[in-house]
Amino acid sequence: MRTRAIVVMLVALICSYGLLAARCFYLQCLKCDYYTGRAIRQQLARLPQAAPRGPILDCRGRILAASTCQWVAFVEPRIVTDAKVLAEQLSLLLHMPGPDICKAVLEAKNPGYVRIKSGLTSTEVAAIRKVRGAGAHQEWVRYYPMGQLCSGVVGFTSKDGSGLAGLELAFDQQLAGQRWQEVFLSDVARRPLKPVADDKDALVLAEDLMGSGLVLTIDSAIQHFAREALLEQLNAFEASWAVAIVADPKNGAILAMVSLPDFDPNQPGRFDPNTLANHAIQDQFEPGSVIKPIVAAIALDAGLVTTDELIDCEDGVYRGKGFGVITEYSHHRYGKMDLRAVLAHSSNIGMAKIGQRAGPVVLYNGLSLFGFGKATGIGLPGEAKGLLRPPQTWTGYSITRVPFGQEIGVTCIQITKAICILANDGRLVRPYLVKAIIEPSGNLQTRHRSYQMAAQVGYIVRPEVARWLVRDAMVAVVEEGTGRPARLDNWQVFGKTGTAQVARQDGPGYQEDAYIASFVGGAPAEDPQVVVCVVICRPNVRLGKGYTGGTVAAPVAKRIIERTLTYLQAKPYRVAGNSRSDYRLDM
Amino acid sequence: MPVSHQTYREDTPCAGGLKRPEGLDRLLAAVVIVLIGLGTVFVFSAGVGLGNGPGVSRQGIQQLLLMPAAIILMLALSRLRYQVFALDGPIWRSATTYMLILSVILLILVLIPGIGVERNAARRWLLVGHGPLAVSFQPSELGKWAALFFVLAACHRARSALHSFGRQLLPILGVSGILIGLVAIEDFGTAAFIAILVLIGLIAGGARLRHIAALTLAGICLFSLLLLAEPYRVQRVMAFSQPNKWADSVGYQADQSLIALASGGPFGKGLGNGVSKYGHLPEDTTDFVFAVIGEELGFVGTTTVIILFGLLVALGLKITLGCPDPFGKLMAFGITAALGLQAGLNIGVVAVVLPTKGIPLPFVSSGGTSLILSSAAVGILMGIARQSNQARAASACGPMQT
Repeated sequence: MRTRAIVVMLVALICSYGLLAARCFYLQCLKCDYYTGRAIRQQLARLPQAAPRGPILDCRGRILAASTCQWVAFVEPRIVTDAKVLAEQLSLLLHMPGPDICKAVLEAKNPGYVRIKSGLTSTEVAAIRKVRGAGAHQEWVRYYPMGQLCSGVVGFTSKDGSGLAGLELAFDQQLAGQRWQEVFLSDVARRPLKPVADDKDALVLAEDLMGSGLVLTIDSAIQHFAREALLEQLNAFEASWAVAIVADPKNGAILAMVSLPDFDPNQPGRFDPNTLANHAIQDQFEPGSVIKPIVAAIALDAGLVTTDELIDCEDGVYRGKGFGVITEYSHHRYGKMDLRAVLAHSSNIGMAKIGQRAGPVVLYNGLSLFGFGKATGIGLPGEAKGLLRPPQTWTGYSITRVPFGQEIGVTCIQITKAICILANDGRLVRPYLVKAIIEPSGNLQTRHRSYQMAAQVGYIVRPEVARWLVRDAMVAVVEEGTGRPARLDNWQVFGKTGTAQVARQDGPGYQEDAYIASFVGGAPAEDPQVVVCVVICRPNVRLGKGYTGGTVAAPVAKRIIERTLTYLQAKPYRVAGNSRSDYRLDM
Repeated sequence: MPVSHQTYREDTPCAGGLKRPEGLDRLLAAVVIVLIGLGTVFVFSAGVGLGNGPGVSRQGIQQLLLMPAAIILMLALSRLRYQVFALDGPIWRSATTYMLILSVILLILVLIPGIGVERNAARRWLLVGHGPLAVSFQPSELGKWAALFFVLAACHRARSALHSFGRQLLPILGVSGILIGLVAIEDFGTAAFIAILVLIGLIAGGARLRHIAALTLAGICLFSLLLLAEPYRVQRVMAFSQPNKWADSVGYQADQSLIALASGGPFGKGLGNGVSKYGHLPEDTTDFVFAVIGEELGFVGTTTVIILFGLLVALGLKITLGCPDPFGKLMAFGITAALGLQAGLNIGVVAVVLPTKGIPLPFVSSGGTSLILSSAAVGILMGIARQSNQARAASACGPMQT
């Protein structure tokens, strides 16, 4: 036995403890920062979080767009050691082909995140959270329960939840929920353990960060009436596009705005990009005869014509130096007519003569007061301004063509606005879509400009002029003129038809057999509750069913007005047998 | 007794003389109990994980049940005469013989599929009992103590005859070689550790230095050969030499151990606040529990543990030197060296100054076999201290009583 060896060995052991303690000192006191950094890099996880986008409701609180929560499976490629093994595991859990997962993981551009599958069930979530390198997180997805119904107005969002079209784009800032990063320590399978202490802000309730909600003036029931009637006519006439707008003339609230063909905002990618356009505001065209009541109102208001005066509409042809040849539709020979008859029969020659009497400046000023040539500011992106040339550039052709809707470009919403002004006794009406913006707290947001409704000030034309046009001239159009297909028994409909030729893109003149059939009007004439504008572009002439505003657009307007007024429980104004209005304009 | 003892007896009465050295084994018990307590706390702390759900882990409960058992066993064995391990008399009267036989049987049993339980691709455990009450037993732990006790007892029996290579040394080497070989089949690290213990035992026992030098050389050659035979062992050594390069594969454990240990800093993240235990650091409750202590209690915690083990070794050394009986001396040294060396190796692995090897930290790591047998060994060590006190007291007070 060697006592000395025993002592040496045990003392050496104690000394080696000293070395181990020194090693611990080196690691824990000197290299602490380096390893703490590595620990944080490995243990800290950041999860981008987004509060839900605000909902979009119609005027009766029906949901047009809302955000719902769904679970998304993801993989963090940088901590995956064997993508093949992981893919096999996940393919069993998620019931999807393994090679797809493997490919997605290997080709991921972001080393921290690659999306595998969305819409997981709770059992799939529980299962995937046990897999190292994979995880599940919640995500808000935009959902449009009405489908295609309001697509043009509401628009749609991208997959990451930012607005791309319609009100979703226009009010993106208000609708968007706040985004933040959740920072937490995670276990090896990236499951959260605890939030990092400094980030107190991350613990704010998600509800407070939600986006503001929009309440629209749209009534989805009326929207449905309009879309149904319009879609039927679009298909029957094989038209290229069609628009129907229903507005409340008293305040400019848009009750319905349909643009066909439309798309399903739940999956906009599956539709032809051409269907994403909202023709009600984005397309400008030569309106044709629907402009006539506006021009007549301008001339009456300026005192350039009277309602009793007879206008010589010639023998169906009006020609002269500087303005070429003007003919009537179907070559009617109207002779001398009063203004009411000129509008009822839609005489081009009569309107041309009124235009000549008014001159470019009066006409231009009047038309711009009615809102032509500038955007209405309805709050939708991509609104066209229309085309109204300055008066100094007008020629003899212009002054005779503008009064019946040529050499002027308008949008459907501009026409609607103009007719609303007439139906509102000549007072200014500004069309709007957003009734209210409601913050998550419940407060009304009043800062946005579209929310500030037009005050009921400013007459565009005198009330008597407006009333005469609506209650007399435009009633005559429906009762005895071109707008007869829009006539209703219960309510006195007023309106004006239009059949415009489509201007050529490659030069002066018009395309052959290309027409825009339109009808603008409303009811009841005594106290207008709705104004309807129906525009159908390029009905197929070869079908032989007709192409004029009266035959194509007016029946649609009739159905919309009938169903809308029934829905709104409007009192039947019309007295049976009374086909002529008793209103007279005192000039 | 010489005259000088008369004066000693006058200064300190026998009662006081008995009391003072008895403190040595009490102090030893206190150190070990503190270590076991610390171990239980950290097995609880490291045992949490999201996979286990809320509440206490299985290992935690097991440790909580084993802790009093281990302490009681330790105190009970301190009453045992350590001489039962000696091989001086007939070999069937020595406890060492039975330990050896039992170890060999269990080590063979564990190799049989269906009896031995496989964990982490190594069949090292025997399952006793069924269902939730099942207790797993690691025969290699018993084999370690059996081999050590055998070498010490055999050296003591051979005494100066140990110088003869053929007659005494070779049989000793043969018996311990069988044990080491059986352990090595499933647990290379423990086998190497047992071999080192055998070597140390031989050095202390008085074997010739040139024999030992030859043995060491042969051992190193054999070790290198076995090392090269298994690719994962080579990788571990490679990983140890370049931890950063291998951090994603074989070096992962060592790298994670460093991250856990060093991110604790001087004062730690606080008890229970560690993050590495949530799956980042494998074997967090067993071989790498020291890293969890480092993460949660910092440098303060790790030095405390090192100081406690230093205290254990120092007390063991004192007991060794204070023991008048040569066999008691050898046993005290062997137990102290085995526990102290194992602690040093474990901490060395965690602190990545040694290559990764599956050796638990005595008293602290979870694992019932290691805890029970280590405590039992400390009990024997306490018994040696107690008996040498009594012997000294007897020799000192003897003339007065008779």
